[in-house]
Amino acid sequence: MNQYQVSPAEKKFIGSHLLVAILALAVGSLFGPLQAFEHAGWDFYPYLKPLIKSYYQGLTVHGVLNALVWTTFFIMGFLTFNVIFGLKRPLKNPTLNKVGFWLMVVGVVTAAIPILANQATVLFTFYPPLKASWAFYLGLTLVVVGSWVEGWGLFMTFYAWRKENPNERSPFIAFASVVTALLWQICTLGVATEILTMLLPWSLGLMENVDPQLARTYFWFTGHPLVYFWLLPAYISWYAMLPKQAGNGKMFSDTLARLSFWMFLVLSTPIGIHHQYVDPGVSPTWKFLHSMFTFGVFFPSMMTAFTVVASLEHGARKNGGKGALAWIGKLNWSDPSVATQLLAGILFFFGGIGGLANASYNVNLVLHNTAFIPGHFHLTVATAVTLSFMGISYWLVPYLTGKKLWQPKWATIQAWTWFVGMIIFSNSMHVLGLLGAPRRVPLGLAPYVPAEWNSRLIQVGIGGAILFVSGAIYLLVMLKTALNKETVEKEVEVPIAESMQDPANTPVWLDRWAPWIYGALALIVLMYGPVLFEMISNIALNAPGFGKGPIW
Amino acid sequence: MAKKDKDDDEFRPTGTIAVLTIFVITLIAIWATIYMILVGRGGTL
Amino acid sequence: MSTQKMHIDSYERNWMIVSAVLLVLFATAVSVAAFGLGIQVPAPEQRVDPRTVATDPNSPWSNPGLREVAPGKYDAYILARAVPTWEYLPKEMTIPAGSSVSFYVTSSDVQHGFKIQDTNANFMVIPGQVSKLTITFDKPGTYNFICTEYCGSGHGVMYGAITVTP
Ligand code: HEM
Ligand SMILES: [Cu+2]
Ligand SMILES: [Cu+2]
Repeated sequence: MNQYQVSPAEKKFIGSHLLVAILALAVGSLFGPLQAFEHAGWDFYPYLKPLIKSYYQGLTVHGVLNALVWTTFFIMGFLTFNVIFGLKRPLKNPTLNKVGFWLMVVGVVTAAIPILANQATVLFTFYPPLKASWAFYLGLTLVVVGSWVEGWGLFMTFYAWRKENPNERSPFIAFASVVTALLWQICTLGVATEILTMLLPWSLGLMENVDPQLARTYFWFTGHPLVYFWLLPAYISWYAMLPKQAGNGKMFSDTLARLSFWMFLVLSTPIGIHHQYVDPGVSPTWKFLHSMFTFGVFFPSMMTAFTVVASLEHGARKNGGKGALAWIGKLNWSDPSVATQLLAGILFFFGGIGGLANASYNVNLVLHNTAFIPGHFHLTVATAVTLSFMGISYWLVPYLTGKKLWQPKWATIQAWTWFVGMIIFSNSMHVLGLLGAPRRVPLGLAPYVPAEWNSRLIQVGIGGAILFVSGAIYLLVMLKTALNKETVEKEVEVPIAESMQDPANTPVWLDRWAPWIYGALALIVLMYGPVLFEMISNIALNAPGFGKGPIW
Repeated sequence: MAKKDKDDDEFRPTGTIAVLTIFVITLIAIWATIYMILVGRGGTL
Repeated sequence: MSTQKMHIDSYERNWMIVSAVLLVLFATAVSVAAFGLGIQVPAPEQRVDPRTVATDPNSPWSNPGLREVAPGKYDAYILARAVPTWEYLPKEMTIPAGSSVSFYVTSSDVQHGFKIQDTNANFMVIPGQVSKLTITFDKPGTYNFICTEYCGSGHGVMYGAITVTP
């Protein structure tokens, strides 16, 4: 089979994204188990003092490197691959994409310096008036701007393809990748405004005080759709690649897959206030409206669940799968890229349930800022997304480098250990949260911990230990693959699941961009306009900053 | 380029319905448990 | 071209209907709790200046504590702070069972949280804003209130207690 040839230079460019991503994960994930051990009463932080001053400096590294750097770099690399391979054409302007990539790299380094110097122990949410070194905010700005520039490179490539193929339906993986990049451009306007109008000038001394409630509102404008920026690339793989890998299944519905991507674009930004249900400065009316819209965005997730499971079932049945559930055993579990993503998908069902509970308006009173929240997002971003990305890398890295995957057996063990470790870790975190344990607290030392939490805290540590092993195996497999002397005989085949229905039969309106973009912007104006107008017209810049010294 | 397999038209995703039924039951059970904790802890006005 | 119809499998259509019904159910339950049972989220209460809120003699938070406003009804003015050290003022309060307490919480420095264990009081404390919820304490016992938002290295030791006497 002759597949489209991505040029060696482009492969290298995509590979550089993965390299930065995996390095970030390697450092960032080190702290996860340390935090989990601390919860269990096994405190390693005293030994880290020469390098890392505190639990919170480590937590900042963990949040920034894992949730922001690992994800963003992997995603930009994967989207770039999908656009090139999907459209079967090179990037329109590779220099532009390169500039974007290097801006991101410079940004990461700029932000990493103050974090490592303990000048930015503000966690990955950096809520003011916690005040970090200006370099931290500047670095984040460069990462965001770099990702925009890379996004523009993808849009230009898509546009060029459209000019060349005016009547064709866009290939699904390219279409979905461009939607994801577009969602990112729109949603980052919030955090860009927060940093550029407040945090950066403030940290540079050009501005004395900030308005923390307004800053939070800008932040969560970006913060919620951010989770869709993480998830959609995993969805692309689940929709369009996994069914092929798992049993030669076909994508159950091209139409609904596209529709759900549009719904994510339109619905995921105007619901950010569901992170601010218990903020004092936002009216309950808007909180309630955002909660109802949040229920709306659950809808495309339900559609995704159906389409993905049905596409998998389609392959499994063709391979002789029987019964109501027994067909699941016929999926290609021995391929580590499949095992990771299937296990990621299973845990994502539970992540979705927790997310729906969080988002259910007053139900948030039970859960807000408890250990339930990290319990929840380690199922979503740290498993559904991270474990899927690991699975993608199990074919993508051999594809890009021409090296054979080192010991697929170990990669399969990695998948299962992550799954088991995460079940133990996350289940105990959820329960702790329901019992009232707060997040962002070194619970091993907290004075108010009742005896009934103890057994659960130990389980957090046990889960963390298993996850540590799993993470180490992943890095070992990646390292050994990169150094592997054995090369693949012929280029790795890119798994693309055909659509069961001919994409040419997908309605044209699902391939038009303008109406959806206008719709997304209109909903943002509707759902955020009045809130922001009110807050900005009553802005009170009266909160001075607090940073290193009094605070950490 | 519609290369349809014969069996595609006959494919009925019954296993999917089974998986999703389990999911919905779990969803309702967990959500309702948390909701009952909320109601049990009383009003805030 | 544009005559193409959207094709949706009947199983999938039913699934979408089930999803929609489910969400309507949840939305209804949430509304009943909010508007029927009075389990509400905080509403804008008052803006203050975080630089002076703890010192201005006209500010209730310059003299934080419990005030009985009617028999069995209290207002609790609570200051959350990280500077000079991580604490709530006051740290301890005692009330008889059956009391209803309105908590007015603000911060004189960074963001904090305020969560009273085993109750639905759980909200952000943001400099410049006053967070308010009202809780009725029927059962005697000790209710810890803890900080739930990162506020610096002492975040994990920041807590206080309400004692409800029989
Ligand atoms: C190696 C396995 C991992 C373990 C054992 C682990 C453990 C933990 C623990 C115990 C916390 C809670 C800390 C606290 O609330 O005080 C935490 C926070 C967090 N983790 Fe992980 N984690 C792991 C991997 C990941 C991955 C892969 C990601 C993202 C891709 C991630 C993202 C986060 C984020 C965003 C936070 C919140 C940080 C904050 O509150 O500022 N973690 N992790
Ligand atoms: Cu959200
Ligand atoms: Cu705190």
